[in-house]
Formats: sequence, structure tokens, C-alpha cells
Amino acid sequence: MSALFVLAIACNRAPVEEGSCCKSEAAAAAEPLQISDQSLYLLNSAWETQNSEVKQLEAYKGKIVVASMFFSHCASACPRITADMKNIEDGLSPEEREKVQFLLITMDVKRDTPVQMKKYAENHRLGNRWELVRSSDAATMELANVLGVRIQPLEEGGFDHSNIIHILNPQGEIVYQQTGLNVNPEQSLLEIRKML
Amino acid sequence: MKSFLWTVGVVVFINLQLHAQNEVEHNNMQFIAAGKYLPLYSGNNNYKEIKAFYIDRYPVTNYEYSLFVRENPDWGKNQVKRLFSDKGYLKHWDDNHSFDNRLKDSPVVNISWFAAQKYCECQGKRLPTTDEWERVAAAGLKSADGSKERDFQQWVLKVTSSAQPKPIPAVGSTKQNFFGVWDMHGLVWEWTYDFNSSLSSGESRGDAGSGSNLFCGGGGAQAGDVENYPAFLRYALRSSLKATHVLQNLGFRCVSEVKVQTGRK
Repeated sequence: MSALFVLAIACNRAPVEEGSCCKSEAAAAAEPLQISDQSLYLLNSAWETQNSEVKQLEAYKGKIVVASMFFSHCASACPRITADMKNIEDGLSPEEREKVQFLLITMDVKRDTPVQMKKYAENHRLGNRWELVRSSDAATMELANVLGVRIQPLEEGGFDHSNIIHILNPQGEIVYQQTGLNVNPEQSLLEIRKML
Repeated sequence: MKSFLWTVGVVVFINLQLHAQNEVEHNNMQFIAAGKYLPLYSGNNNYKEIKAFYIDRYPVTNYEYSLFVRENPDWGKNQVKRLFSDKGYLKHWDDNHSFDNRLKDSPVVNISWFAAQKYCECQGKRLPTTDEWERVAAAGLKSADGSKERDFQQWVLKVTSSAQPKPIPAVGSTKQNFFGVWDMHGLVWEWTYDFNSSLSSGESRGDAGSGSNLFCGGGGAQAGDVENYPAFLRYALRSSLKATHVLQNLGFRCVSEVKVQTGRK
């Protein structure tokens, strides 16, 4: 595990050139975005989907997003979190679903390759409204911290983590967090419908 | 082998001392040789190998942070984005650049994790992992494992449990440990890169009822050194933090794998 972590640090460091962080941020700030200063779409990290597309989170702007962090090797909670998200999906009418994006964000950036994530999506019969994404360790840590998700890497290679489903409005702000497992999706559906 | 590494560390330390000059001195980093340490929640004697790294010898000061803000106006007191910090960011500053001059060399506080992370990144450094930070903090005044130094432990306990002096004293005002690093105890709490990996206390901010469902996993965490009250306090603090939080006694310092010369131009 410590080896993984050291690798993670190396990944974190490698792309950092002197002052580069400052410039990219200035460039991002100059763009006229119609989002508040609480929007997740301020993050400019790059994410790779199960179909090997590379995008920024901003690509989801305009949609209601139902998101959770997960890792595909997780045997206990993650399938249940995925099931809880599917319960939300099932609770929506076909027209309502059109406006909602389901997003699984891996915390296992080494093992959850696009191929592995695609396999997970197929095994769990996740439709075309679902995207599974991964990024660098640093970007994943940043997003986890924006979402308030706690992650503890384990010696054997897995993770202990918070079980939270996040609902984002079309501007990328967190409007509701469903915490725990096997939660009745009623409140989440209510929050989504408020925005439809 | 170990003593050889320590010797290397000491030599590097002496070199740093020789090159230290007033302002530049605060930018100096201390080499920490690869070695083992016993994490607080490690079960019985599960020592962890920590690779070598360099660590800032002092916490980042208000003055140093003000230089960063000048180059990165997005991180000014009034400019910072709410996504990256709660209200209260740099609340002890008068405005984007000025603060009580007596605080110039005091550690910067009222800083979110995102701000600390960005500061380190812009120096070509990063935040220390909790393991790295605790490894340095475990040192006493005479040895890398301070747990046997009774007087030192008494002092750590005293400064950890007593109220913080106001205004916060300058960096370098407490003690310099065996590694040559200052202020690991008794000045301010410090952010770590993976502060959010402390899960043992559960998600106390959420409103969900059943605790066991809040985390996936959450196996039995067993403390190795149950007498290390200050370490429990640090662990509890980290468990309670969110990355946007700002506290009047929470600052940070940076580390890197290679020595970074950040003497300002």
C-alpha cells in the first residue's frame, strides 16, 4: 500500500512545473463561466471515462448529476451504493431521466482502467446515462475533498470510504447528499424534481 | 546503515545551516532519511517504511503566504472561491495583502486544505502525508523516536493541551527536534495531504442515523501507543476536518522528494 501511495505522490509531483499551477488557474479564471464560486466545474482536472474519452467535469454542466465515489474491486459497499443510485434512476420517469447524468468516480486510479470500468458498467447493467471516470491521484483527492468524501487506503489495496451520493444542480453545485447505504431514494428524487 | 543515513541527514543539515541567511532561512528544507515509524493506528508494532523526503524546517509564515497571494491573486482574502474555502479564510489579515506586522513571522493560519495544497504546489512542493508529518513529529530532541524522552513528552503534552498564546508567536519559537525541524509541537496544528483518511470517528457532520453504513469497511483500528495523547488529539482533529475548513490555529508546511530552492528572486 505504501508503494501505491508513494506512486500517487510521484504522479502528483510529476506534472508540476514551476509556476504552472498558477498560470493554468489564471487562464481558467479568465473564461466567462456562468457558474458560482461553489461550482465543482471550477476544477479543471482531466477525467477519463469507461469509453476512454477524456473530459473535464465541466462537460456535465447543464445536467443534473447524481454522483458517487467507488472502486470496482470493492466487494461490500460499492455495489450497494451503485444499487442505491439505480434506485434513484428507477424512480424517475423516462422524460425525467433524460436530464440526469449518473456518474461513478473511482478512487482506485491504478486498477480502475477504462476497460475495468467498462466491465463494471456491463456487469451492473448501467445504461448509457452512466459514466465511470478516473483521474490522477491528486485530482481524485481534490474532488474527494470538494465532495467531503473521506478515503482511507488499506494495506491490501482497497479503501475504506464514506458512502455518499451527491446530487449536483446544472451549475455544478452540491444541492443534496444522500449518506449511508440502502437509503430510501425519496428525498433524493424530491431534490432532483425541484430542479426539473 | 541507519546511523549512516542519520549522518547524511546531519551533514545536509549542517550544509543548510551554513547557507542559511535571514529571510532565505525560512525557505530551507530539512532532509529526512528513509526510515520506519509506528503509526498511531497500526495494531501491534506494525512499523511503516517512509521514504526519504525534505520538509520545511518551519511552518509557512504570514509573510511567505503574502508573497504567494501577490503572485496568485485568486487566493487573496477576498478573492478565494467558496468551493476552496469556508468564510474566515485569512480572517486575521486586514485585506488581500496586509496584516499586523507583528504577525509577519508567525505561522499563517485560517487556511483551508485547498489553499495549503496550492501554496505547496506553486513552490514545486506538496503537503506532507500524515505518515511523513507524524514521523517527523515523533522525533524527540535527542533521537528519532522521542517516546523514550520523558521530559520532552511532558513538554509536548503540556503545550498540546494548553491554550494557544495570542498573538501566535513567530516560527522557530518552540523547539527544534532531532531532525533539525522546528515547531512540530506547541505552535499550530498543521494540515496533511491525506488528513481525510482518518475515518475512525465516523462522519459526525452528516445527518444519517446508522453509523455502520456511513463507511465502506471501517475495520478495527487499533492504537499502537495508547499513551500518546497528543497523537490522539491530532488524529481526532484530522477526523473532524473538511478541506474547506479554516481554523485560527491550523497552519501547514510543505515537503518534497527533492530539495527545492525557493529563495525568492
